[in-house]
Amino acid sequence: MRAENEPVINVSELTRRFGSTTALDSVSLSMPRGAVYGLVGANGAGKTTLIKHVLGLLRAQTGSVRVFGLDPVADPVGVLSRIGYLSEENDLPGWMRVDELIRYSRAFYPAWDDDYAEELRHSFALDPAAKIKNLSKGQKARAGILVALSYRPDLLVLDEPSSGLDPIVRRDILGAIIRTIADEGRTVLFSSHLLEEVEQVADHVTMINRGKIILSASLDSIRESHRVDGRVPSLDEIFVTRVGISAATASDG
Amino acid sequence: MRSAAAAIAWEFKQRHRWGLIALIGDVSVLAIIKLVVVIRGVPIHLDSPETFALVVMMPLTVMFTYLLAVFSFGLDGDLSARQSMYPARMFTRPVTADALAGLPLLYGTIAMIFLWLVTRLLALWPAGVAIPLVWPGLLLASLLAWTQALTWMAYPLTGLRIIAAVLVLGLIDAMALLALHFNVRESVMLAILAPQIPLAYLVARSAVARARRGDVPDWRGALAWLTRVAGVASHRRQHFASPASAQAWFEWRRHGRSLPTWVVILLPFELVLLWVAGDSTALIVEILLSVLLTPPFMATFAAAAVSKSSQNASDAYGVSPFIATRPLTNAELVAAKLKMAIASTIVAWVLVLIAIPLSLKLSGTSAVVLEYGRRFSSIVGAPRAFVLLALVLWGFIALTWTQLVQSLYIGLTGRGAVIKGSVVLVLGFFFLFGPVAEWIVETQRLGRIWSSLPLIFSILVSVKMIAVLWIGTRLYERRLLSDRALVTGAAVWSIAVFALYVVLVWWFDAPHIPHYLLMLIAILLIPLARLSAAPLALAWNRHR
Repeated sequence: MRAENEPVINVSELTRRFGSTTALDSVSLSMPRGAVYGLVGANGAGKTTLIKHVLGLLRAQTGSVRVFGLDPVADPVGVLSRIGYLSEENDLPGWMRVDELIRYSRAFYPAWDDDYAEELRHSFALDPAAKIKNLSKGQKARAGILVALSYRPDLLVLDEPSSGLDPIVRRDILGAIIRTIADEGRTVLFSSHLLEEVEQVADHVTMINRGKIILSASLDSIRESHRVDGRVPSLDEIFVTRVGISAATASDG
Repeated sequence: MRSAAAAIAWEFKQRHRWGLIALIGDVSVLAIIKLVVVIRGVPIHLDSPETFALVVMMPLTVMFTYLLAVFSFGLDGDLSARQSMYPARMFTRPVTADALAGLPLLYGTIAMIFLWLVTRLLALWPAGVAIPLVWPGLLLASLLAWTQALTWMAYPLTGLRIIAAVLVLGLIDAMALLALHFNVRESVMLAILAPQIPLAYLVARSAVARARRGDVPDWRGALAWLTRVAGVASHRRQHFASPASAQAWFEWRRHGRSLPTWVVILLPFELVLLWVAGDSTALIVEILLSVLLTPPFMATFAAAAVSKSSQNASDAYGVSPFIATRPLTNAELVAAKLKMAIASTIVAWVLVLIAIPLSLKLSGTSAVVLEYGRRFSSIVGAPRAFVLLALVLWGFIALTWTQLVQSLYIGLTGRGAVIKGSVVLVLGFFFLFGPVAEWIVETQRLGRIWSSLPLIFSILVSVKMIAVLWIGTRLYERRLLSDRALVTGAAVWSIAVFALYVVLVWWFDAPHIPHYLLMLIAILLIPLARLSAAPLALAWNRHR
């Protein structure tokens, strides 16, 4: 049994290049158990690349990635069986019916909770006989949340889950995060460029720009440190300020 | 760019500029050879089949295949899918369906006719052979036009496109072969081939117009009883016994039914010939042989989909996040594909083995086949005849399964360059095989090769075992397979090799065939290297 205070995710000096493009540049990150982490950045900042390393879909070129103390590339089963993941692409197989998706997914997770899955299916109004490909984008996202949550994963990873979705589905996704953290000791990594959403649920915010972490702290301390004339700026304003500084530094350099 | 026609032409040129450069290079080589021979009078003889094949036929066929894929947009899509393979991104352009279908067809026709004419005019053809000037070019253009029509068409059932392509293109090919055989005049061929292009255009235009409005015919409703049977079967099983069985089910649903479906569609066309075969033993044997070859032949097409990591992946070859994040090892993901291939092969062969005796009985040709079998068993003895029949049948079944899974180690790499490179290598091998075989026979080197067989097989076995050692070491070092799985795999393979060796020794017990040669053959026949490389390929793809 691993120590309770061991970080869920520990990324150290991670660098990743795609040809001449540096997607991640010496990124280090440590996420303790039981918090909601908002990973924010502009499109192409490196959020998805970082998440893919956490899932073991990319191999660390330099540096290291540990999830629950394990290397996700060397031990995909050990890591992935404890992660609930919803991708921006939401590439659930279109040919499956909703009930088939549930039956198929539950086989991989011994902790799958049938009652909880059924409760989610009802609350999301998902027809078990409906084919995934015939669902709307929002319904597909809900089906994705259902299979990501039903085994109560230790770590929930959501990569731009709200992208292109209506406010009602976005509310369901935020609700999913809240449900997850209601279970003690569970952790959420939530990437988004919709900063008002991140602001609603995140305890800790990491801003990433051009593959570098430009700010990583608790939301409260970020707000406090950016207070101007007694006014607390929104995360949007802080982000624009920080990214603007970063972009200016890069162009000067 | 001032017109849609110029924009579409530019897109073809820009996207396939390397292919265009290769085509210009090919033409240049032919031109240089011709200039050297005709103008400078240097004596170069390209009459031998192998040289002719290497210099003229191989580049011509490779370029033809390449242009076929380019102008039909067949490089990117899924051949077995119901949906049109015409790129959806082009539907939003402000041009008519006439232009969308007509322009690629026009450019393709020009490219094919140009390819033939330059080859016809610049290549040195064997002396004394009259090479037609126009109709082969028109044949290439017709084949392209029909390929375009068939690939852009949407189909009511999965896999129907492949069946339709085999039938229509096979018919056009057969027509050309008959024309060659009977030395048909060029004007007759022109009269037959010329209407093909406008006909294909009409089909292609209609297909593009329907695809543009998202119209995909669907006959699956008519086959709903099958779905209901499958549904009842799946409802009976509430839960999967293990993650491995869930993944095997996933693979079966995704790819497993393609091969049996294609076999079922093709079998009637082949077996109906038994009714016209009369009592011609040779014809009946040929028909049965073609039926037995159908599953392994169609398996080569099914394999392209099976070995593809995922059809949902954004980069066409990569593993989709949905599959990549399954908490399964790479070996378990590959094992699910292997199990699906076994199930698919069994179902396809059960269908064949039911259809053959039934057709023989109903067509009244069973007596001819039984008599043929009786004569054969009286020559070699009943046990040997039975074992040979079992071996041949087992060989066809094993070949079907091997065809389905042998390219996994290529497809699962998820690297476009590796996959396309392997296709070029295979095509090259097939083009060289014929001329090399002819050269061997004509130069009477068969005896020398026969006596060198032990050496050739020894080299092949050495290559195979070195590859297996390299792969095994990588699998062990990266912990992609457990120690137990490695040892079990090696043991099962050894037992299979030994069993095959025993059967071969019993059947081919002749003084001029040494036993060690049979052992080498057994080692080569039982697959190992390529199968064991599959988890390595998937790991390379899944953890990039």
